Amino acid sequence: MAVAQGAPPRGALLSIKIPRGRGAGLGLYVVRRILWLVPVLFFVITITFVLMHLAPGSPWDKEGKQLSAAVVRNLNAKYGLSDPVLVQYGRYLVNVVHFDFGLSYQYEDQPVSSLILRSWPPTATIGLLAFLMIVIFGIGIGVIAALRQNTWVDYLVVGFSTIGASTPAFVVGIILIIIFSVTLYRVTGGNFSLPTGGFAFDQHLIMPVVTLSVLPIAFIARLTRASTLEVLRQDYVRTAWAKGLRERLVVTKHVLKNSLIPVVSALGPTFAVLITGSVIVESVFAIPGIGRAFVVAVSSRDYPMILATTILFSVIVALANLVVDLLYTVIDPRVRLG
Amino acid sequence: MDDSAARLRWLRVPALLTVVGLVVAACGTSAPTTSNLAKDQTLRVNINTEPNSLDPGQEQYSYEADAGASISEALLKIKPDLSDVVGATASSWNISSDGLTWTFHIRSNAKWNDGKPVTGADFVYAWQRVLDPRLAAPYADPFFDGTIAGAADYGNLDPTKDAAKIPDFIKGLGLSAPDASTFVVKLQAPAPYFKWIASLWMSAPVRKDVVDKFGSDKWATSPDSLITNGQFKVSEMVSKDHLTLVPNTFYWGGAPTLTKVIEYEIADDNQAYAKYLNGELDIDNVPLANTDLVKNDPVLSKQLKIVPQLTLFWMDFNTRKAPFNNPKARLAFSKAVDRDSMVKNVGRGRWSPAPFFIPKGMNGYRPDLGASQAFDPAAAKTMLTSAVGDPSKITIDFLIRNSTANKQLGEFLADQLQTNLGVKVNQVVIDSKTVTTRLRKHDYQLYVGGWGADYPDDQDWFDIWMTGSGNVFGGYSNPDYDALVKKADVEPDAKKRQDLYDQAQKILIDDAGGGFLYQRTYYQLVKPYLQGLTTTAEDFEVIGDWFWGKVSIAQH
Repeated sequence: MAVAQGAPPRGALLSIKIPRGRGAGLGLYVVRRILWLVPVLFFVITITFVLMHLAPGSPWDKEGKQLSAAVVRNLNAKYGLSDPVLVQYGRYLVNVVHFDFGLSYQYEDQPVSSLILRSWPPTATIGLLAFLMIVIFGIGIGVIAALRQNTWVDYLVVGFSTIGASTPAFVVGIILIIIFSVTLYRVTGGNFSLPTGGFAFDQHLIMPVVTLSVLPIAFIARLTRASTLEVLRQDYVRTAWAKGLRERLVVTKHVLKNSLIPVVSALGPTFAVLITGSVIVESVFAIPGIGRAFVVAVSSRDYPMILATTILFSVIVALANLVVDLLYTVIDPRVRLG
Repeated sequence: MDDSAARLRWLRVPALLTVVGLVVAACGTSAPTTSNLAKDQTLRVNINTEPNSLDPGQEQYSYEADAGASISEALLKIKPDLSDVVGATASSWNISSDGLTWTFHIRSNAKWNDGKPVTGADFVYAWQRVLDPRLAAPYADPFFDGTIAGAADYGNLDPTKDAAKIPDFIKGLGLSAPDASTFVVKLQAPAPYFKWIASLWMSAPVRKDVVDKFGSDKWATSPDSLITNGQFKVSEMVSKDHLTLVPNTFYWGGAPTLTKVIEYEIADDNQAYAKYLNGELDIDNVPLANTDLVKNDPVLSKQLKIVPQLTLFWMDFNTRKAPFNNPKARLAFSKAVDRDSMVKNVGRGRWSPAPFFIPKGMNGYRPDLGASQAFDPAAAKTMLTSAVGDPSKITIDFLIRNSTANKQLGEFLADQLQTNLGVKVNQVVIDSKTVTTRLRKHDYQLYVGGWGADYPDDQDWFDIWMTGSGNVFGGYSNPDYDALVKKADVEPDAKKRQDLYDQAQKILIDDAGGGFLYQRTYYQLVKPYLQGLTTTAEDFEVIGDWFWGKVSIAQH
């Protein structure tokens, strides 16, 4: 794995030189990486703005009954859409600097920031729980399968991860609903069944979290298994066994620390994806989350909502990458950031 | 109910008889019995989408008007059979002999949900507000600016450039409240259909002090500031999840039996259907794909309610381009579609064939006028050949919105036209916004358009085919049609008016302004313990949503 041999490629791209000393140097590195967000966001906003305005159709176009020309003119005036696009772009940049993300076109003048603050918590809750499941089960069964290679445990894990990795989330979701809601409801005469959808901090979370985590668990399990098998064959592991170390020590100290490096680099983007929401899981389980809000915003050309969601997603992806880079230094002391 | 509806579909009887039949067939109210009520009087339904606004002046979609009809009450309200209106916040009203002045008498016990009385001034304010171009109310044009005296200039007032003129424009509107219990509206011209406009969602009153305090675009976004005058009020708004309605204890008509209505905002049809099966919803739309399953299920088939809907679809021909600039070519296309097969195979028996314009459930329903568009493939091909020459040389660009339902219908129509006429049909499937953009630019030849009634008056339907209308994209124009409709719109005598509309419909069908296809129905499951459900052909998202006040829940 290339990452184990030096600085991770993501760190190298930024070519910021920082001192070798760990404590203060790391702090400076983090600050610089966060400062880099500013130009990144500027480009993200610019590209999104251009693409958004290139897409045909206005926020006021509808499928059925059309708004009259007079009403469309009034709406454009109200939301500043009658100004030239460049003026709109400049105004937006100025507002963003003041953390003003504008008003939604779709939801009658509600601030986009409050719409996002409302729809992000359900997404983040389900995403975080799913992430925990992925870390625990994905890495767990991957390591177990590798340690028990070519036994029934291994075949079971490989079998599960093959099926899990090739079953789309909406199929998993619908099957879960059919079994644990509809069928259970019929069988128990309406006395017990899981809720089909919606969001609350109770049994509502079970099916969405499972659905969201099945595919990544399968993926992470396969990755962990493969990289653990590779590490198990290394000389230093053989030495550790030969020294007569206990299995627990060999696995945690020598095997896991090395085999997890590729897993960590896969978990970073996975985390970013989970936390920004899955449109499919949110639709199947009717979760009022940000993934669906973003898709609806795009299809209804709710420009301020599209921009604000894209900015949020960019920040999350950038921060997740930063965390991954920092984690490398913890897992592998050979990694130097800079 | 199902049987009589099915029988009626095949009858060719005079309009009046059919309307009477419909009342019996579709609008039956099961009699509530109070002795067997369940402890929990909560109704749970799905309105599909979060309302963008619950401000009566800003509502424009059926998923908004659904809750809107329960929480805000206009002057008048439709009768379930759609034959007329009855007093709502206004107990009575009179119309001057010239038909120009409408005086509404507001109930002395009509109250807002904070206990304050509803006054004529509340209506003056609400209607003036809708006509203020700075609010950009979606339907100020055409409902209000097309009828209210002094409002005709609405379209010429730019909200920024003409800002100085707006206060005078508002003052000059024909709206006044001589005293607290009277609201007077002066019209531009006699409009027999104005009673329906006075029953629309946007005609409900709005409180000036509330709007001033919380802000014009903020007051309707939180239950605390959403002061309304309907039988219910909003007690909870969970974004993209649900709305909760509870009774307005000050409502003039007394308390409903229901103590709570939960309106879910579930976009996915299958999720909502599973919720119904899981006992989490009391009424639910049947997903198209599950139609046969529900019909054949011994339990679900008994819970199925089918109600005709005032929504009709047609082939929208772009009359500016060949071959559709030729009325005979349009008529040939209209005659080339087997609507019975379409209803059976694409609509899974949920629609009814309609080679005519005015749907079942309206006064103007005249299926006999559809004779000229009746399916006749041989005659269609001959007609097309004599009108524009060899059909095999014609290629048609058919614009289709990208969704499963639209693609299935598009596939079927393209196949019919290719087989029966021998023309080439090029299906252009693209995203919805792009389709609308191209329609507005008239950059298409064929498209399936439709209309759903805003109110059950012929005027709402016939006006859309007038020259220059923004609601039919094809550019149909016929001066004879325009003249008849203009006359009918202001004709006070109901019989004479109907006669004029019938003549107009005949012209429209024979001209094939559109190739009329089918009428849609509501196809929804209702739990057997719901009592008093009162459906109309004008319901919004959920059948019975005009009349939640009549519903109760039996023990189950």
